Amino acid sequence: MSCKCFIVPHEVLTRFAQDRELSAELRKGLFATAQISHELRELRGQAAKLTSVAVAHADALIELAPSPTVTVYDCKHTQTLPGAPVPHQGNSSDPTAKRAFNETTHVAKFYKDVFNRNSIDNHGMTMMSSIHFGSKFNNAMWNGSQMIYGDGDGSIFIDFTSGNDVIGHELTHGVTQHSLQLNYSDEAGGLNESMSDCFGSMFRQWEAKQDVKGADWLIGHDIIGPTAKARGFTCLRDMADPAAKHCLAPQPTQYSQITPGMDPHYSSGPPNLAFYTACKALGGKSWEKIGQVWYHSLTAFGPTPDMGMKPFADRTRQVAHTLYSATPTVAAAVDQGWKHVGL
Amino acid sequence: MERLQIERIGGVAGFGGPHLKSRGELALSDLSPADRQAVEDLFRDPQKAAPAHPGEADAFRYRITRQTAAGAQTIELPGHAVPAALRDSVRDVLE
Repeated sequence: MSCKCFIVPHEVLTRFAQDRELSAELRKGLFATAQISHELRELRGQAAKLTSVAVAHADALIELAPSPTVTVYDCKHTQTLPGAPVPHQGNSSDPTAKRAFNETTHVAKFYKDVFNRNSIDNHGMTMMSSIHFGSKFNNAMWNGSQMIYGDGDGSIFIDFTSGNDVIGHELTHGVTQHSLQLNYSDEAGGLNESMSDCFGSMFRQWEAKQDVKGADWLIGHDIIGPTAKARGFTCLRDMADPAAKHCLAPQPTQYSQITPGMDPHYSSGPPNLAFYTACKALGGKSWEKIGQVWYHSLTAFGPTPDMGMKPFADRTRQVAHTLYSATPTVAAAVDQGWKHVGL
Repeated sequence: MERLQIERIGGVAGFGGPHLKSRGELALSDLSPADRQAVEDLFRDPQKAAPAHPGEADAFRYRITRQTAAGAQTIELPGHAVPAALRDSVRDVLE
């Protein structure tokens, strides 16, 4: 799917630029527009690369804002980004807009209160969401700059803003981009996806004031549509039981089962299970200690885009020792988690 | 008549796994001349297709297969590199 910031799609411009039924002058203008638009997109890509470099030197940067602005845009079932600004977002008559605004605001508060993080980039960047993207679009995503939410087809999935863990998941991809900068392929990709599931689930538990026993550890429970429910599916993924039959995307449970080129949404199974196991071993609330270990491991060491699962596991073990030297049960729980998945 | 098989994979739900499928099929003759040329260019050099945007996650990718005299040829591309007519041809199903 296309995630470019444009009004007229590139292929429309180039098609009309070649249409001999139009005047030469008009075709020349369309060709120029297509070329300029291409360069503008390249500029955006370069801006994203600048973000990567800037993150590496984040300590030297001044804060953009003391807390982030949250904005919601309505794509009105087109794929043009960002869409039309939604007025009165937090009290919108559109429940999708209201949810996107309120839950994004809550995720910002979660990261601030629990991890002392100021927005996605830790410098107060605006948190932008576009809703009603495409027609019956069965997806939500982070495009490198903002969140995008589809309405679902009403059958397999419902509105993707219905899941607060989905919103937390997508925003966490931004956090990862502005910290460890994990690639989206191979083991790093699985870790990238796992970070989003772990922090998305922690956010959901934090909002509900649940401890590790009370949490359901399901990802996407609230976006499952009636057809999928009737077939017995209750979630996208289950962090407590990644291979479970009720998952739309059942995952491996052991590191040894991960194969080269595996989709990150599947290779995230073992690190998800490791996090869950560590949380259950320690007890209490997931974000209080194990979550802190994971957050510190994600954000305190600078970028390692191709980080493998074993090095990450070892890092969390070391961080647990460092952060909680007076409470050895934390490191023991982390170790138990990783050993459970073969790391 | 040359036909294209299109499969959409990835996304936050993990399309392309055992249960979630997204597939479509098009005759090359159904495409506009510009889209036919775009498809030809993609098969000729898929590495030239625009890479994923930095930091992008949970986006869809597309596997496109065509039959040639030498056999089936399949390429995999980020969604923004795929013509809209091909993206719009897929239907999501639960298996």
